[in-house]
Amino acid sequence: MHLKYESTLREPLVDGVKDYHQVTEDIISPIEGKPGTLWYVGFFISLTLLGFGAFSVFWQIYFGVGVWNLNKTIGWGWDITNFVWWVGIGHAGTLISAILLLFRQGWRTGVNRAAEAMTIFAVMCAGQFPIIHMGRVWMAFFILPYPNTRGPVWVNFNSPLLWDVFAISTYFTVSLLFWYSGLLPDFASVRDRAKTKLRKLLYGVAAFGWTGSTKHWQRHEALSLVLAGLATPLVLSVHTIVSFDFATSVIPGWHTTIFPPYFVAGAIFSGFAMVQTLLIITRKILHLEEYITLGHMEAMNKVIVLTGSVVGCAYLTELFMAWYGANPYEFATFFKYRAAGPLGWSYWIMMTCNVITPQVFWFRKMRRSVAVTFVMSIIVNIGMWFERFVIICTSLYRDYLPSSWAYYRPSWPEVGFYMGTFGLFFTCYFLFAKYFPVIALAEIKSILKTSGENYKEKMVVYEEEPAEKFAHDVAHAH
Amino acid sequence: MEQKKYWKGLEELHNTDAHQEIVKNEFSEELPFESEGLLNATTPRRDFLKYLGFTTAAAAIAASCETPVKKAIPYVNKPEEITPGVANYYASSYSIDGEYVPVVVKTREGRPIKLEGNTLSSITQGATSARVQGAVLSLYDTARLRFPSIGGTETTWAELDKQVGAALAGLGGAPVVLLSATLLSPTTKKVIGEFLAKYPNSRHVVYDAVSYSGMLQANEAAYGKRVIPSYHFENAKAIVSLGADFIGTWLNPVEYARQFAQTRKINAQKPEMSKLFAFESHMSLTGANADERYTHKPSESGAIALALLAAVGGSVTAPAIADKRVADGIQKAAKELKANAGKALVVSGSNDVNVQTIVNAINNIIGANGTTIDFASPSNYRQGIDSDMTKLVSDMNAGSIGAVLVLGTNPVYDYFESAKFAEGLKKVKLTVSFNERNDETTELCKYVAPDHHFLESWNDAEGRTGYYSFAQPTILPLFKTRAVQDTFLTWAGNTTAWADYLKNEWISKLGGQEAWDKALQDGVVEPAAAPALGGASFAGDIAGAAGKINSGKKGGKLELVLYEKVAIGSGKLANNPWLQEMPDPITRSTWGNYACISNKLAKTFSTQLGDDYEINAEKKVLKVKSNGKEIELPLLIVPGMHPEVIAIAVGYGRGEKVGRAAGGIGKNAYPFVSFNGQTFDYFTTDASVDATGTKEIVALTQTHNSYEGRPIVKETTLEEFIKNPKEVNEDRLELKKFGADFRKDATLYPNYSYPGIKWGMSIDLNTCFGCGACTIACQAENNVSVVGREEVAKAHEMHWIRIDRYFSGDEENPEVVFQPMLCQHCDNAPCENVCPVGATNHSSEGINQMAYNRCIGTRYCANNCPYKVRRLNWRDWNGADSFENNLYDVADMNDNLTRMVLNPDVVVRSRGVMEKCSFCVQRLQEAKLDAKKAGHPLKDGAAKTACQQACGADAIVFGNINDKNSEIYKIRNEMQTDRLYYVLEETHVLPSISYLAKIRNKDAAPKAEKESAHKEEAHHA
Repeated sequence: MHLKYESTLREPLVDGVKDYHQVTEDIISPIEGKPGTLWYVGFFISLTLLGFGAFSVFWQIYFGVGVWNLNKTIGWGWDITNFVWWVGIGHAGTLISAILLLFRQGWRTGVNRAAEAMTIFAVMCAGQFPIIHMGRVWMAFFILPYPNTRGPVWVNFNSPLLWDVFAISTYFTVSLLFWYSGLLPDFASVRDRAKTKLRKLLYGVAAFGWTGSTKHWQRHEALSLVLAGLATPLVLSVHTIVSFDFATSVIPGWHTTIFPPYFVAGAIFSGFAMVQTLLIITRKILHLEEYITLGHMEAMNKVIVLTGSVVGCAYLTELFMAWYGANPYEFATFFKYRAAGPLGWSYWIMMTCNVITPQVFWFRKMRRSVAVTFVMSIIVNIGMWFERFVIICTSLYRDYLPSSWAYYRPSWPEVGFYMGTFGLFFTCYFLFAKYFPVIALAEIKSILKTSGENYKEKMVVYEEEPAEKFAHDVAHAH
Repeated sequence: MEQKKYWKGLEELHNTDAHQEIVKNEFSEELPFESEGLLNATTPRRDFLKYLGFTTAAAAIAASCETPVKKAIPYVNKPEEITPGVANYYASSYSIDGEYVPVVVKTREGRPIKLEGNTLSSITQGATSARVQGAVLSLYDTARLRFPSIGGTETTWAELDKQVGAALAGLGGAPVVLLSATLLSPTTKKVIGEFLAKYPNSRHVVYDAVSYSGMLQANEAAYGKRVIPSYHFENAKAIVSLGADFIGTWLNPVEYARQFAQTRKINAQKPEMSKLFAFESHMSLTGANADERYTHKPSESGAIALALLAAVGGSVTAPAIADKRVADGIQKAAKELKANAGKALVVSGSNDVNVQTIVNAINNIIGANGTTIDFASPSNYRQGIDSDMTKLVSDMNAGSIGAVLVLGTNPVYDYFESAKFAEGLKKVKLTVSFNERNDETTELCKYVAPDHHFLESWNDAEGRTGYYSFAQPTILPLFKTRAVQDTFLTWAGNTTAWADYLKNEWISKLGGQEAWDKALQDGVVEPAAAPALGGASFAGDIAGAAGKINSGKKGGKLELVLYEKVAIGSGKLANNPWLQEMPDPITRSTWGNYACISNKLAKTFSTQLGDDYEINAEKKVLKVKSNGKEIELPLLIVPGMHPEVIAIAVGYGRGEKVGRAAGGIGKNAYPFVSFNGQTFDYFTTDASVDATGTKEIVALTQTHNSYEGRPIVKETTLEEFIKNPKEVNEDRLELKKFGADFRKDATLYPNYSYPGIKWGMSIDLNTCFGCGACTIACQAENNVSVVGREEVAKAHEMHWIRIDRYFSGDEENPEVVFQPMLCQHCDNAPCENVCPVGATNHSSEGINQMAYNRCIGTRYCANNCPYKVRRLNWRDWNGADSFENNLYDVADMNDNLTRMVLNPDVVVRSRGVMEKCSFCVQRLQEAKLDAKKAGHPLKDGAAKTACQQACGADAIVFGNINDKNSEIYKIRNEMQTDRLYYVLEETHVLPSISYLAKIRNKDAAPKAEKESAHKEEAHHA
């Protein structure tokens, strides 16, 4: 029996009249039934995008990176912009699952499963870019430190790009394990309800023989905590290391010590926006409004306005330092070629989307509006994409020697590649939404009786009771 | 024995029709594919699996196999003198278009792969130009003619000789005309003379596409000698160029640029240098290097010359110069000329006899004759007389010419009335072309008897009277071509082979086989002691010339001037992909010509310098009309253009048959040339331009023109340098804040001290004229790829050394500075620590080196390079890739023939790999090994980079900075301590290349303001 008491002043985390069975029904029945038309439409669009992306990548690998519009001056464009963007998106999932678990934030249970799935798919998408962007992708294994017969030749441990390899692969592994271990009891629930042999077999295999014994639960809890402990530093370290790609360089606009916190805040900012986008769609399609409530959205919107402001603060700090630092090249980069100049428009898109518009979330009404939240989540993601574009391209295109200044517009295979990762992401997400429990069943049940609406209502009686009487009753319960 | 017949069944016994059918198709099984297509297959599943298996296997093979190794077959008997891996050098001469550059040809395994200047020549002293460097590639031009032909069909030389012999005999006394470009070879001329002597009334007409006839004729009138004198810029303290681009294209720029450079070398101990004034219409390389530059319309060039003559004290009445700045400039130039009388020189690029007469008069007054101008040993660089050519064309049209033999010239392309020439050619009974390719003129000739390339030929050249240079075959003729001299000898009935003829001639001149051998070995024969410079008494008709100038063509609203580009020149080498891709020194454009206009004029077409102009490679196309002709070309804004002048380069607009690189690139501007009754005019005064509404790509390698006042380029004036030599480098004092030694004190990391050799380079911005010879030399030495116009426009060019060109000051009269930029081989290289696989790293001799095999192409190094000198192989330029059919080659650079030019010492880079300057590490290794074998330490100068060797001005000095006797050590520590600086030194990347600040010999304070921390003045010049 759950002994935790939660005040009725706190909003319920599960609306409606629910018992454990009803929760199971709500969450698992979509897996058992046929998906709706919308699912098919979405899935088909995703597959099409994925196909186009695959073709774009084939084109680039076959003919060379020259089919992209990168050049002697701007060596990274959409490729690394997209990489950082996708990695950043992943961060919200880890934050929700790990940090909020450690902080015992009950509201995470409604959204953590989908957020973690998003993390994994986003990191899968992100990982494509640093690999495919290589001039000789078939030699990509050179970046792995393994014993070889070439000397042996080792990787360069000084290179932030190598740190990325470790950071991203660790991140992916830990996130996957965390996600999967959380899925075990839920897979077992699906298995136990299965009416077809195939389903029973597949979910049975996936559930790793989960029986729900106390020992299982105990180990599961322990594993969750260990993985949460592992994942927590990753939330900070992964994007810190990604930021080192730039911060350790000598290019004005990249060479900035503020980058690690600034990147982490930006990552969480964009990650929560992406979680919002996905969950608003998911709750609508799968009718999960009672589990992913306005309260959940409001909580996440609060994170968005906080991190958005952190990011905005970082932008201003950068500008200040560019002036105060008295480095003429840096000054020129920030004030003449980033905030103005031929690529200046991208800076103002970034500023508008990331700093100005999220301020609407200071208003409760806005935080609790599904429409506003959805639109804002898209805007924030556009803004965060431009943040990375601004950092990468506006620093490179006009750096030290004016003779090399150039301009950059993406070519179709670059755009196609990006669209392809959307295809990959949503293909995975649609499959996830169809075949996996999109809400952590076991976890939501763990908070149901403290935070479920119908259970909270039962507490009203006690809350209205004078404190002395309650104490007396408890003391004389036997 | 009974012949039994065994049968296996009744059908066999009866041998039915059906059975016969079966027997016939006994092995009738079809190929395993059951249908042709995958989708319409009857049993697609099985086919699908087959296809799947096949493609998987194919993909696996493509991905896992290295590029196939082509077999090399070793010699059975090693030829004498050829050791695989060891280069052989032969002296030769470059004499295309009358330029005279003695060269040394480097051959490897029997293939010429590189040209270097011949240091034994006192005229060029080892200098080369971009065109000379590029000429080796023309040897392997796939568009060269490969056999003799008659009427377009291949024939044998015997048949051709027979038919031409018959045709010559059947001319019936009609004159034979040999039409050639300027020939420098005295022996060839002798052969021609012998041939022509056989035919009555025959003549040799010399026609130069870009003519100096006006000068020849003016000198004939003034001095009684139809010659071009030898110029000695090295003796001049004051030089005035009236539209003569002597650094870039005028006569023999290799020679003049080298001479001029000697007057520009300066340090604090000897703070003096020459002063160069330029008066011109468009921005030329000489104008860009001038201390004072003024623009005028081309129709005013006579008036400018007259005004200058008047200003130096000539007794003429000069027309008033309306532009006050120019008028003042003339006074200033005259003052300088007079102050330096006997050490002054005026040169003019005009092809007008009258203007050249006035220039002669000026030179006479300022005492140039005999000091900076030498008539005793004149030059032979151009010999064409324009009126000879126009007369020939009218004779041809009159039908009075029996035979026209075309040698090394292409009037159907570059004659101003090419249609008239082509028409006339039809009326000529016998037409023969000796040209190397099926160019516009050769196409119209019946007999084609292609000559050898100069690297396949025996020849001699007399650039300056008494100064000879030789050419010897460096490779067996690649095709069934024949030396034109052999052809003449055969047709003249002389059975001596040309090689013997030449040898005999020279043995008799030099006095023996030994002397001849030595001449071939040295490549040059020169007077033992340089003859004294000789003047000439001036007897020109100044008044007459002045009168004609004053009554000459009056200027219109807009004027058009034609010019030669440094890389392409008159167009002879147009099919050379290296030269096509060489960025023009001024405009930084590649592949094609365009209408150069000023920003002011551009504004009338609603386009102007600025961000929009910079970021869009597509420029508005203008329709330029003049003389009743019109062409459409994209505009290009060139600061320093006179606002009422349009400049168009000649040498473009070639037909597809000329070759893949030249074909269809740009437009032909020669039709705008006109004949003024005496000489050709390379300008028109009645031009008009209209926008066409279309746009076209102009492939620029540099789009931003200003250095934004950044201290990457440092310059000062002579006056200030004399006053305070340290002032130009004042900002370096800031670095002292870190400690006495910035290298060691500005970092937390330990310092590596390079105990052995430490390579370093110094580049003198004062003597870098921006000519681009280094770029092409590097391209030839290091197998740098050609990418084509579209890819250059995408900033995918591959050059390892580029010359940054910056304008400063106001856009109508800007100052120009050239800054060669290549890998700085930083000792604290930002590229090295970011490479995830360690593909770029540092050698113990301070070279930042690339391991191409290891590179995976992340481009992180290029991003982190503050100098942006790293170049990715964006596409498969070289076929060095595992994938089939993705070769990107716009200029036949991968033909097996063209690939013979590759330097076997330098690996060809595959697609996806980063590359950059290696300090010619292959040369350094060779020099070190040679020193080791010889048992002595490496001597200074034994190891030279290709760019250094090509630079005629010696602006690039390279060597071991640990060697206290080396020139680089002396420059850094003794000679140039005041001017020396490192680009972006404050970033502590510790570059190995130092630059010497530019010094301008001008009065005014420097226009480029110093950059203060928070005020970065943009001059979008």
